Amino acid sequence: MLVMVIGITGCTEESDDVKKLTVAGSTTVQPVAAAAAEQYMNEHDKVDIQVSGGGSSVGVQQAGEGTVDIGMASRDIKSSELTIYPGLVAHTIAYDGIAIIVHPDNPITELTLEQVTAIFAGNITNWQEVGGDDANIGVIGRDANSGTRDFFEEFFLDPHGLVPAYDAELASSGGVHGAVADAPGAIGYVGLAYLNEEVKGLDLKEDENATAVTPSVANVKSGEYAVARNLNLITMGQPTGLAKDLIDWIMGPDGQAIVEGEGFVPL
Amino acid sequence: MLRNGANLAAFPSRRGRDGGHTRHGLVAVTDLFVRVLLFATSLASVIIVFFIFIFLLGEAWPAFEEVGAGELVLGENWDPEGDPDNPRYPRDPSFGANAIIWGTILVTLGAMVIAIPLGIGSAIFIAEMAPYRLKIVLKTAIELLSGIPSVVFGFFGLLVLVNWIRITWDLTLGFTWLAGSILLGIMALPTIVSVSEDAISTVPRDYKEASLALGATRWQTTREVVLPAAMSGITAAVILGMGRAIGETMAVMMVTGNRAVVPDPIVNVTSPVRTITGTLAIEFGEVPVDSMHYYVLFALAVILLVLVLFINLSATFILSRIEERFHPRTKKAMGGILAPARAFARNWKELAATLAAILLSTLFVSYMAGPVVGVSVIAASLVAHFLLERMLPRHRRQQYDRMLVLALLPVAIAGIATRAIDLPAGAGMVLLLAIVVITVQMVPERASRGNGLLVVIVLWLFYHWFGASLGAGLVAAGLLASQSLSLLTPKSMQRVAYGIVTASLIAVLAMVGVIIYYIVANGYPALSWEFLTESPRNNGREGGIYPAILGTLYLVAGAILVAIPLGVGAGIYLSEYAHQGKLTQTIRTGIDNLNGTPSIVFGLFGYAFFVAYLGFGISLLAGALTLSFMILPTVIRTTEEAVRAVPQGFREGSLALGASKWQTIRKVVLPPAASGVITGVVLSIGRAAGETAPILFTAVVFIQRFLPNSVHDPVMALPYHLFYLATSIPESERQQAGTALVLLIMILIIYSVATALRMHFHKKMKW
Repeated sequence: MLVMVIGITGCTEESDDVKKLTVAGSTTVQPVAAAAAEQYMNEHDKVDIQVSGGGSSVGVQQAGEGTVDIGMASRDIKSSELTIYPGLVAHTIAYDGIAIIVHPDNPITELTLEQVTAIFAGNITNWQEVGGDDANIGVIGRDANSGTRDFFEEFFLDPHGLVPAYDAELASSGGVHGAVADAPGAIGYVGLAYLNEEVKGLDLKEDENATAVTPSVANVKSGEYAVARNLNLITMGQPTGLAKDLIDWIMGPDGQAIVEGEGFVPL
Repeated sequence: MLRNGANLAAFPSRRGRDGGHTRHGLVAVTDLFVRVLLFATSLASVIIVFFIFIFLLGEAWPAFEEVGAGELVLGENWDPEGDPDNPRYPRDPSFGANAIIWGTILVTLGAMVIAIPLGIGSAIFIAEMAPYRLKIVLKTAIELLSGIPSVVFGFFGLLVLVNWIRITWDLTLGFTWLAGSILLGIMALPTIVSVSEDAISTVPRDYKEASLALGATRWQTTREVVLPAAMSGITAAVILGMGRAIGETMAVMMVTGNRAVVPDPIVNVTSPVRTITGTLAIEFGEVPVDSMHYYVLFALAVILLVLVLFINLSATFILSRIEERFHPRTKKAMGGILAPARAFARNWKELAATLAAILLSTLFVSYMAGPVVGVSVIAASLVAHFLLERMLPRHRRQQYDRMLVLALLPVAIAGIATRAIDLPAGAGMVLLLAIVVITVQMVPERASRGNGLLVVIVLWLFYHWFGASLGAGLVAAGLLASQSLSLLTPKSMQRVAYGIVTASLIAVLAMVGVIIYYIVANGYPALSWEFLTESPRNNGREGGIYPAILGTLYLVAGAILVAIPLGVGAGIYLSEYAHQGKLTQTIRTGIDNLNGTPSIVFGLFGYAFFVAYLGFGISLLAGALTLSFMILPTVIRTTEEAVRAVPQGFREGSLALGASKWQTIRKVVLPPAASGVITGVVLSIGRAAGETAPILFTAVVFIQRFLPNSVHDPVMALPYHLFYLATSIPESERQQAGTALVLLIMILIIYSVATALRMHFHKKMKW
């Protein structure tokens, strides 16, 4: 078997003048990085950029270990991570709003932040309690590794010391979208990019008297829709060479056009 | 014997006197060389088998050391991402996997409730009722069912089953234990049907003839003679099916909701659950290497392996007992001192069943009436039961058992009626009623002792599922039906029994039919030349799946390139060369257990070893090697079985004519064994092509711009593409169904090739 492995390994030869760059991490940032890499490679010959997923934690760790040149994270670097890898630098390339979504047939159109917290903590279990139909609420969340879930809970639950009471934990935002689109009583959270006519993004308001704000790119950009997070590229130390060029390119006009095209909020 | 001799004469025996001295030397050298080579392959295989176990244990060790096995198994809070530095809500991570282990066990048990009656019913139909041609067709269909990839079941479950359950049971969400159990039940069916069918078919003819000669009807013969004789085999089938179900990953994680809670109450099938396999598949991909969460996931894999190991060893034990029953060669050697042990072994099943029944009913009654009342009620009734039974004369006992059932029924109804009354009903009740009737019909007469307990348990389940009055009504109807059945004449009884058996087979075929129809009807419009030859665009919503088809072919090719030389070599060595002693037996057990290892565990191993430790990265190489390790045990065992099936007389004849050992193997043993070997290999290819879990962390990416040009590149693959589309890409329904259909067709082709090859060689084989 060893012979075979060596034999197979033998046939990979890269010519030396091709510059290689590896990017890995958050699946939320991945589509932006992948599309940017594709266009960047079209514009620059002899560049090979490989983008893979793994999640925000993996992105931070691999950037810190030097396994990849650029890590991707849909959150900021945690203090615990900075203790292990003090040299990590985050480059915010876009913002992402988190929308609370329900089935289009649900008469509810807006909720207060407090109501959202109560629903996801399991303290409100019937739509009637927030002015809707007499029907149970099906709370859908993401898996424990999700950066989206981290952010959502940090915003709505952690400040109150509450833990979520999900009825289902799904492994992807697409899954949450699909489940909410199917079930009239469901509620979930997804990035702005997943909003379409199959689900309804709820307007949010500080309290009963405040005006409700629609989850939209414009409202996130203006800062009115507060449930928003940074999407980061992460390097060990200040980037140089190809890594620096790519990050600059993504922050430039072409890159920001891609950000907008993928449904995120440009800088 | 004569036929063997006649056949041997036909084999080329040109090694006559012309083989001179040098020739003889060459033969000896070749023989030695082959022997060493085969030994090396089998050694490599054995090392791989044990290395995987040891490696997994090594990766899991820090978790057992830091978190502790007690906390892992009994801890109630699963919060792996807790962060003491979280500024808003600092908390330590918590790794209590109790609910996850419960989820695994409950989903598997639920699957068995569905698969056992349907599977055994179908097996009885195929073995006892079907004419020869129909039998062949049905066996092939069942084999095909086993070839449908897990992710295709999950796709069907996610799009159809989950919504069907949500609407039928009037739930908010359809992600439930029930959904997982239904899918797993269907997936465990092929194993249960084929192994039970084997067990029923191998009951000696004399048994049946004797019974029929005494004037029993065919059904009486089946029920009173054939089924009891095949019982160990059927039990083994159930256990093997259970092993298959407990290790399933993709289908389960797509429909169970993955919430780590113990259902409340524990029989609430509409609760979401999370299984070990689901946890591994969801969380492993995004945990940093060498974090405690990473080690804990390996520890979960080890716990899963222990569960599977336990299940497999019971199956091996039971199967070895069947062999003894029909070929009692060890009887004499075992007499004397070992007699009490043997008597115990004969009774262990009864003992275990009784203990389990006591434990279960205590739990259940405690749930209904509180622990103190529960334990004392059960204890009192047990004492009363045993005393009564001892006092009664033998011929009265059966009567007493019947009375027990009838007496317990009103007591149970009264107990339940005191609780709140609610009446929501579902379409599943008819199915459940049928299951109860089938189960009651299949329980042999002597097991009626447990019927009383069974009724109470079923009552309690129904009470929770359908509410008090409807639940009690259903059980009463079921009991009435089964009691009135005993009034029928044997002839009518046979008709009813055959009706039920046929219905169970039809139910199985209908389920397969629905799944396949759904995929074909929805996938067919997506098929086009572009779909098969282009790359995906717009996150897989448009364009084709060509890179995924190619990637799957690459992965399979790589896997068989490694697994076939190693596996076939090791199989030949184990059966032809190895000394058939304890060591060989140990190796075989090791290989068998690797064979039953859940595919997701291979995925973890592949990631930790190939991707991370050897530094292959997410690549075709890592994925193909992981898959090859997964199919290696199947290749070894099918080769070994096929080679061993060649009659010993062939070898003796060849050796007597002066052929060397390798010459004998090559010219005499391998040609007739080829059919079995090739079938095993082709079936392994089918399995490798459809698996998602092993490649999830080792080989695949969702979208790839360039086709892979070296083995160090990652690949796209059909099962993963389908998984990703179905769970992550909204508005890609057409492409999902199309991908599922292409995957299904690919597997179908592979299985047809296997069947055709087997038929082809079967005709050639004569002895």
